[in-house]
Amino acid sequence: MNELRPIRSALLDVRNLHTHFLTDKGTVKAVNGVSFQINQGERVAIVGESGSGKSAMAMSLLRLLAYPGKVVSGEINLEGRDLNRLSERQLNEVRGRLVGTIFQDPMSSLDPVMRISNQMIPPIMRHLGLSREKARAEAISWLDRVGIPDAARRIESYPFEMSGGMRQRVMIAMALSCRPRLVIADEPTTALDVTIQAQIVELLKELTAETGAAMIFITHDLGLVARFAHKVGVMYAGKLVEFGPVKDIFARPRHPYTQSLLDTIPPVDQLERRRLAQIPGFPPDMKLPVTGCAFKDRCAGAHRRCFEVAPELEPRGHGHAAACWLPEGLGAGRQMERALIPPMEPAADAGEDRVVVEINNLHKHFTTRSSLPWRKPPTVRAVNGISLRIRKGETLGIVGESGCGKSTVARLLLGLDPATSGDIFIDGMAQMVFQDPSSSFNPKMTLFNIIQEPLVVTGWGTKAERETRVRELLGQVGLDESYMHRYPSQLSGGQRQRIAIARALALKPSVVVADEPTSALDVSVRAQIINLLVDLKQKLRVSFVFISHDLLTVSYISDKIAVMYLGEVVEYGPADEVFNNPAHPYTQALISAVPIPDPEAEEARIQKPLSGELPSPLNLPVGCSFASRCPKATDYCRTHKMVLKPYSKTRETACHYAS
Amino acid sequence: MLTYSFKRLVQLFVTVLGVVTLVFFTMRLIPGDPISAMAGDNLSGAALDQMRGQMGLNDPLPVQYLTYLGRLAVLDFGTTVTTKLPIVGLILGALPVTVSIALGTIFLTVLISIPLGTLAAYMAHKGNRMLDNIITGVAMVLDLMPPFWTSLVCLLIFSLTLGWFPASGTVSLDDPAMLLRRIALPVLVLSMAQIATLARITRTSVLEVLNEDYVRTARSMGWSELHVLFRHALKNAALPIVTVIGLSFGNLLNGTVIVEFIFTLPGIGNLLVGGMNSRDYQMVQTLIVFYAMIFVAINFTTDLIYRVFDPRVQF
Amino acid sequence: MALISIPLPAHRSIQFNFSSLNGTIRLLSNRRVQLALMILVPILLLTVFRPFLPIPGPLETNLRAMTKPPSFVHLFGTDRMGRDILSRTLAGVQISMFVGFAVALLSLTVGLVMGTLAGFFGGVIDRVMMTITDIFLAFPSLLLAIGLVSVMGTGMLPVVLAISLSDVPRFIRLQRSLVLSLRSRAYIDAARTVKASQMWLMTRHIVPNTLAPLLVAASIAAANAILVEAGLSFLGLGIMPPAPSLGNLIRDGQTYLEQAWWISTLPGAVILLIAISLHFLSDGIRQVLDPRSRK
Ligand SMILES: Nc1ncnc2c1ncn2[C@@H]1O[C@H](COP(=O)(O)OP(=O)(O)O)[C@@H](O)[C@H]1O
Ligand code: SF4
Ligand code: SF4
Ligand SMILES: [Mg+2]
Repeated sequence: MNELRPIRSALLDVRNLHTHFLTDKGTVKAVNGVSFQINQGERVAIVGESGSGKSAMAMSLLRLLAYPGKVVSGEINLEGRDLNRLSERQLNEVRGRLVGTIFQDPMSSLDPVMRISNQMIPPIMRHLGLSREKARAEAISWLDRVGIPDAARRIESYPFEMSGGMRQRVMIAMALSCRPRLVIADEPTTALDVTIQAQIVELLKELTAETGAAMIFITHDLGLVARFAHKVGVMYAGKLVEFGPVKDIFARPRHPYTQSLLDTIPPVDQLERRRLAQIPGFPPDMKLPVTGCAFKDRCAGAHRRCFEVAPELEPRGHGHAAACWLPEGLGAGRQMERALIPPMEPAADAGEDRVVVEINNLHKHFTTRSSLPWRKPPTVRAVNGISLRIRKGETLGIVGESGCGKSTVARLLLGLDPATSGDIFIDGMAQMVFQDPSSSFNPKMTLFNIIQEPLVVTGWGTKAERETRVRELLGQVGLDESYMHRYPSQLSGGQRQRIAIARALALKPSVVVADEPTSALDVSVRAQIINLLVDLKQKLRVSFVFISHDLLTVSYISDKIAVMYLGEVVEYGPADEVFNNPAHPYTQALISAVPIPDPEAEEARIQKPLSGELPSPLNLPVGCSFASRCPKATDYCRTHKMVLKPYSKTRETACHYAS
Repeated sequence: MLTYSFKRLVQLFVTVLGVVTLVFFTMRLIPGDPISAMAGDNLSGAALDQMRGQMGLNDPLPVQYLTYLGRLAVLDFGTTVTTKLPIVGLILGALPVTVSIALGTIFLTVLISIPLGTLAAYMAHKGNRMLDNIITGVAMVLDLMPPFWTSLVCLLIFSLTLGWFPASGTVSLDDPAMLLRRIALPVLVLSMAQIATLARITRTSVLEVLNEDYVRTARSMGWSELHVLFRHALKNAALPIVTVIGLSFGNLLNGTVIVEFIFTLPGIGNLLVGGMNSRDYQMVQTLIVFYAMIFVAINFTTDLIYRVFDPRVQF
Repeated sequence: MALISIPLPAHRSIQFNFSSLNGTIRLLSNRRVQLALMILVPILLLTVFRPFLPIPGPLETNLRAMTKPPSFVHLFGTDRMGRDILSRTLAGVQISMFVGFAVALLSLTVGLVMGTLAGFFGGVIDRVMMTITDIFLAFPSLLLAIGLVSVMGTGMLPVVLAISLSDVPRFIRLQRSLVLSLRSRAYIDAARTVKASQMWLMTRHIVPNTLAPLLVAASIAAANAILVEAGLSFLGLGIMPPAPSLGNLIRDGQTYLEQAWWISTLPGAVILLIAISLHFLSDGIRQVLDPRSRK
């Protein structure tokens, strides 16, 4: 211990941390001089776009980076000991004991061929010096605390026998089982549904408060930060650009990057819709040396000094610090670029307001092939009686947990799979935009050929006409014509999604089905795509079906919302009404699970996360399908099926008790 | 589990039936017929006809086929054409030699390649690719050396020049010492190709596992790298390795034919080449079916082992 | 002898156009490909121009130079009939190359067609095809070839057919799995929403994206075929003497191993070189196709 250092209560004191990846193509400076402190019991969130070095920084703390990652320099003082100077052997006494770690992907973070007991018990025995029986009892009690039902039995399960949410609970139990002083959680809820995310976040909050452990919580979701953190650090290009108490950061962000990030989030208040802020350009290549401020190429406030000298993290009062030459960042300039979105112009004539998609009592059942010929094959009822209408120019948002049938509806609409029963009428044509920008295009085709494919297949126009049309489409999605002869691999994720939109619009479809079109994109790019969709909707009066698990985005972009649960629509109505005043208990739960990027508002909300998980669609309950998780369920609900019924003039809902 | 085994057995049966049928009809495609091909020009027309009658070759093809299946069902493989010995007896007599070579090869291969591959993976994971590169390079060369050529070179060096191993001598189970000395070189030759290949696959599987998230989880709980290697990495990598060992049996069977021929070992491979050279089609047909069944049975077993040991596989 | 076992690059990014100049340049600038060509091109040139080289013909006997070790006159030595081993080896390479190329082409073509049909249409076609390939795959490859040669007789054509028959099922399997992984790609769905025909999907989207991995497999199959042909000829079941197949040369030398080591060993070394360079070639193609395998 260094006697000269002033005695502080800081649990963890990181100073000037540098981490590099020594790749064949050059040294990636993933963490480039990060310093911060965490006090006992404090929850610190680290936010930033992917690639900003969040994970690299977190893994550096315990030297968990695999080759070619290497902590190059810096001090990592945990309770006064510099972890960076410990040997592997000494560090192994810290890992798991003083610092617990939770990783992003619960599906791959547990050893698949080892029982939970064999993964949990030995570390407890080793770190706490308990006997096997005691350690086992301890492990079971932790599993119990994280909400694993029947923990004494489930401890003998293999990971594959559990859902993603359950596995993440096991990870948490494991990370906390040796009573660490600090917990590092690297995007622990990113792979999970909102409802499960809310459960996990609540759990982490409770347990760390109970045990007094401090926490580093890495995320790219600013809403979660507001719900969860005491302090926030914003990372950009391997550096902390802003650090401070959560309320202060949200109320008065000082760094242009933080300010822009906050403005890219769709507002909760839907009364006046403004365009989302966009951050132009891309993060810098971290293999190249940076002179001046790393954010300068994307910053609206950049000036000469920014190009010459890099700003350091300087205090801004109240424990708040930012690394920018402008004391207030973009300051008042922040709001100016964001234009109000004009309301949709009313239709010129009645024909313009016609219904373009009508779905009546749609069913889709998947029958898996039975393993033995004489056994009845199990049937999955993915879509179980859905009726919907979409008017011209209207955007319908479909939300629900993963596995509720959203994507199946999309495929049925597009005619990619045949329906089991029910009708779909489409006035015109349905086209699509998919989630995964990397598999959406044939890698062997140029963008020109990709966009003109629908035209060629349907025999539209002459060669010259098609070329003109492709140019026009590229213009509409905001891409330069010079892209025409490139290949998809040469584009970024956001650009690919623009191409997907251009292809979908080529034949002037009446409806475009977009299945999670922004989920694979980073926040700043996501805002660009959402703005583009809003523009196209205004300009072309094309209808959209927008499917997403991101409720904020859906409610921002949609006119109507349909909430799905187990293959059924349980609530339907105008977006702002459904979002602000949900009628169905499931919608209520779903919306309260969505974190709002406003710490004050988050504090005021009552957090009652929906318990349980989506039941298997293999054997649907007789009564209300939501009854197993509904806080208001009665015996009547469990025996009587409820169908979608008018709730108010504009809305429909499927609940016996939604009056 | 039972359901799965049942399904696999049905599939197995279909495959074996297909193999038998294929071999039977292909053999009947021989221009002329087996008898005249075998007999050459030495026999008169009448004598040939008599032989045909004896062997049922004058019956219609479907009848011949059913008769053949019927005899196979009771494991009656017939007799050799020239010496009239029961083929089953010959095969059973030759089997121990081939099995010793095969088992010896597998034993040697596993013994050397798994530790070697694991070490290479571990070093590569830490950023040291030296052993890794050596193994990959050597594996490629050894893997592509034609076994008959390698055999000759080894024979030249170790038997003829250095005299370490006898190049001839009777081989039987009654004299294990001699058996060992005679099969040592063939086993070495066959192992050379297999060791390199298996080491490379072990290296790939282990390296892949070392990059898995759960390895990082174990490290984050304070386990040392060696602990992680033995407790997690090897266990997970074992499954693909077992599969590859099973698959490499095909190569091994190919190889035994060649080494038995070169080192004049009285195994079933030698029976096969002998049968080919003396144009004993009955023998060749039976042996080919026999080889196919061994191969199918081994693949079946590997598959079951895989499934028994991988908790994720549900039946 | 190497089985074809191809870790598929298909489900990863296939971002490669053989047709484009860019692709060819990337291929040619790969170290392994360069190495492969450095071995293959000279051997091929020597083989093609053998008749014009100042060496005796492969069948020319010379009673004054019997069983001579390698020297400047006879670089690879001579056999017991005074035939020049280098000349015979080059003639053997010609046969090997032909066999390798023919087998690769045949297996690739048949595998491409049948595998595409099985993978694309599924159902009964698929199940029948898989059962048949199962049956063929039940034979170890050399043994299948031995069985077939015993039926078809020896010589070039039977050998090519026999080896191809054990490769075709593997190619069918490979192509089928490639097609299956491509069939569910989003861009296929995108084309289906505009009612693109099956033919369009197959020829525009599926087959072009399977060619590269098939080519990787084909170059391995060529190497494998060369080795199997040599093995068959060595056992006296392949191409018959006096045709100087490499397997025959090695078989010839087997009897005189002690007196004249060069008769067997040098042709064997040439086979090895060819096989290795074909593997380098396939490795190189794979690296160019799949940037992640480069590491
Ligand atoms: N194994 C690796 N090899 C090379 N570069 C890497 C590796 N892992 C991460 N990086 C680079 O380090 C930077 C930071 O990555 P990461 O910490 O994962 O960011 P985040 O967690 O914020 O998404 C990125 O530029 C990324 O490309
Ligand atoms: S230092 Fe300059 S470029 Fe960097 S964030 Fe501040 S104003 Fe923008
Ligand atoms: S019907 Fe009953 S169980 Fe279903 S949502 Fe309404 S209150 Fe809940
Ligand atoms: Mg990360």
